[in-house]
Amino acid sequence: MIIDIIICLAVMLFLQLLTPFWWWIMMVPFLYGIVKARSGWKGFGVGMASAGLLWLFGSLYYWLTGGGIIAQRVAMMMKLGSPLLLIAAITLVAVLAGGFAGNSGYFLRTALRRD
Amino acid sequence: MRWLSLILSAGVALGLFYFLNFPHDVLPPLGKFLNPYAGFWQNNAASDKIPSVLDVRGLKDSVMVLWDDRRVPHIFARNDYDLYFAQGYLTACDRLWQMEFQIFATAGRLSEIVGKQALDYDRFLRRIGMVYAAENSLKEMLTHPETRTILEAYTAGVNGYIHSLSSKNLPLEYKILDYKPEAWTPLKSALLVKYMAWSLTSYNIKDLFITRALAALGEAETARLYPRYPPFTDPIIPPGTPWNFHPQIPEKPKSDFQPATRAMPNSIEFTPHLGSNNWAVSGEKTSSGYPILCNDPHLVLNLPSIWYEIQLVSPQVNVYGVSLPGVPFVITGFNSEVAWGLTNAETDVIDWYEIEFKDDTKLEYLYDDKWRPTTVRIEKIKVRGERTVLDTVYYTHHGPVVYQKTEAPFDKWIPPGSAMRWTGHDPSNESLTFLKLNRARDYDDYFEALSHYDCPGQNFAFASTEGDIAIWHNGKFPLRWQGQGRYINDGRNSTYDWQGWIPRAQLPHIKNPNRGFVSSANQYPTDENYPYYLTGSYLPFERGARINERLAKMENITPQDMIALQNDVMDLHARKILPVLLSLLDIQSLTQDEIQSYEELKSWNYEYRAELIAPTIFEYWWKELSNMIWLDDMKSPLGELQIPLRDVTTSLILTEPNSHYFDIRTTPDKETLSDLAIKSFQSAIKKLTEELGSLDYNWEWGKARGTDMNHLGRIPGLGRTGLPTNGSECTVNMKHPLFVGPSWRMVVALGEEVKAWGIYPGGQSGNPGSQFYDNAVDDWVAGKIYELLYLKSPHDKHELLAGKTVMWGEK
Repeated sequence: MIIDIIICLAVMLFLQLLTPFWWWIMMVPFLYGIVKARSGWKGFGVGMASAGLLWLFGSLYYWLTGGGIIAQRVAMMMKLGSPLLLIAAITLVAVLAGGFAGNSGYFLRTALRRD
Repeated sequence: MRWLSLILSAGVALGLFYFLNFPHDVLPPLGKFLNPYAGFWQNNAASDKIPSVLDVRGLKDSVMVLWDDRRVPHIFARNDYDLYFAQGYLTACDRLWQMEFQIFATAGRLSEIVGKQALDYDRFLRRIGMVYAAENSLKEMLTHPETRTILEAYTAGVNGYIHSLSSKNLPLEYKILDYKPEAWTPLKSALLVKYMAWSLTSYNIKDLFITRALAALGEAETARLYPRYPPFTDPIIPPGTPWNFHPQIPEKPKSDFQPATRAMPNSIEFTPHLGSNNWAVSGEKTSSGYPILCNDPHLVLNLPSIWYEIQLVSPQVNVYGVSLPGVPFVITGFNSEVAWGLTNAETDVIDWYEIEFKDDTKLEYLYDDKWRPTTVRIEKIKVRGERTVLDTVYYTHHGPVVYQKTEAPFDKWIPPGSAMRWTGHDPSNESLTFLKLNRARDYDDYFEALSHYDCPGQNFAFASTEGDIAIWHNGKFPLRWQGQGRYINDGRNSTYDWQGWIPRAQLPHIKNPNRGFVSSANQYPTDENYPYYLTGSYLPFERGARINERLAKMENITPQDMIALQNDVMDLHARKILPVLLSLLDIQSLTQDEIQSYEELKSWNYEYRAELIAPTIFEYWWKELSNMIWLDDMKSPLGELQIPLRDVTTSLILTEPNSHYFDIRTTPDKETLSDLAIKSFQSAIKKLTEELGSLDYNWEWGKARGTDMNHLGRIPGLGRTGLPTNGSECTVNMKHPLFVGPSWRMVVALGEEVKAWGIYPGGQSGNPGSQFYDNAVDDWVAGKIYELLYLKSPHDKHELLAGKTVMWGEK
């Protein structure tokens, strides 16, 4: 499962650095769910972890390399108050999006599978 | 069961996708916005890094840019085309969103960005003909070969930057509001000039009000409460200056036209607020023997700031100052030989003409007993997420009929059924003035440059290394008969049309006056002997009077003295009226709290300092007093009248202490001025206590009335609020409750080597994630000012230089 997470993470990061689309955090877990997940929980877990880590690490990276001011302002704009809460909220968004995408990928496969 | 799991899970996933991919009400599309790899995180301070090389298609040659430690670009180009190309490119780098947003706000296109909530505002801008005005201006700008080339170069530069952008490095506001920049055009630069023109001339649209006052009060009382010539003055041109010309003044028509307009805006105290200071002192009064020029334009303070600081150098020019993001050139600044600064002229260049249409089609209107055709302009207002709205605007030869009789105006001062005559609609090329001022070497160059300038009228102060100082009340001002334009005009009668223009050479001006200085602060420009009829929303005279009072006393002036004068907070209104008001109070009848407030006022030196309590008490007291004097008298059968300007009230107190206006009509008693003084004082203290708590540091002026610098698009979190600023509406360091203040302070000491200082509240970068977004704000509040780096060559070395960029053209 850890290996699956790392692979998903690597694929997402690669696609993300090439293109600006945010929805790789849903698309990649969804495909993982269709192709490889062994259970709905696994689809959810791998999607959740890889997407969450991708956005958590991304946020931390940009926060620590000159993002202090923008984080403070956006946190104020979104009425979250602190950059840490903002980063937590960003991670939560990715966790939910990646998790449900991976989960629904798995259920799509099982729904279409011929018995 | 499998299908149920799929439906549930996919339902949540699709719901999340939908929620994250699209904007919702005030929220940006969160997926895009929060994605660390392309969303808001990309607008971090790492983008402040100065690139050593920029490959830019469209330059003719390489351009060197030196950056100082405040991110001011000093551009060295080998030709003028490249110079203005680079100005456009670099301004866009730092201010693209602001540049475009200001244009959308001027052209009536905000609905495209924010949806139908901006529709009425957009329709209003279409109705007053902002794009029509810009189109007329643009034709002139393109007719002149030099301004044409420069405008095209600037446009190419802005577009060069826009084309280099990918979605991840779009300015933050595009990500928040979820749209993309479109190409820049020369029309957009013309629109920005009109944005300034409308901001600086449009509070002269109160003719409707004065027309109603005349109907309600009659001529004598209207002249008394709303005098054309203010009760106290210290004009720009020293009183007694002779006017050595034969004026051509048109005759007043023999007509007793009564406007039919019946709408009456409700009473509010009208306070003109966009002003400015400028002055120049001659070498006879300075320690260096060379003139010093100072300027601080007062505008609404936003982030990003309205100004962008820049130095522009080519073989033809080397100028430093502030520019307006969206137009080439430096607007107020200096070169090695001359310096100039602007203040708003305030002279009225907008009049209203009541129109009689032949029928409901509005295709013809009556003029000198004949039916004339209107010109119809169809405005297409695109609305985000909705159908495009079409609007028809009818133009007469006067100008557009802004609102029909049956329509409710967006701006309540606009008389329905009237056409607007505005000099801003006429073809003009103000950019030529700035082109020439940027390159001026002496007084003659300055004088020539001014002749191309029409709207918005400005007081241009000037100083040269040769030793000249001067000021011109300059612009295209209508030639009016006595009283013309104060009331709504008869649009059917040609004698009500403007009869031409005040000849340029006869505009109020003075060169090298005996007193050794020139100055202006938006006050009435002349004494009453000036032969032409000038009317307008001139600002109270106190700022100008304070500047003149100080300059008259000063000798051996240094730049530091001038910086101190720009930060002066002595309030002449308080100095004049407060001792009189305090003498009217009977201390025996006051409570303990009231006595404490009384003591604060008694020991006050009339300075509006942020840490003092007295200014707050005085402001509240004056407001209460003014309301008590006037509110009961402002009811008329035609509706509520406007409270007279402050100086009329002051004059009444000082010269007519027994006036019937002091009696409150709604009470059976007969009140006197003393009664009102004590009642209003008690009421003010009560109000203060209710609003700010008991007398304490909460009452400090800087806390009670701090300055908010909002984001230009009113996006929360991106402004700076509650700044503890000094100053009042009539101190030299000006502060207005609508968050207007010194938007740029500049002091230029001419000499063998020109030296200058400047600061504006904000920072060079428009990126809210940049350390240069608001880096100057606290220093500006504290009254500090920076030394400006006037470089001579791209190889100059200076400790304040932070980096260098080479912009390459096509190789």
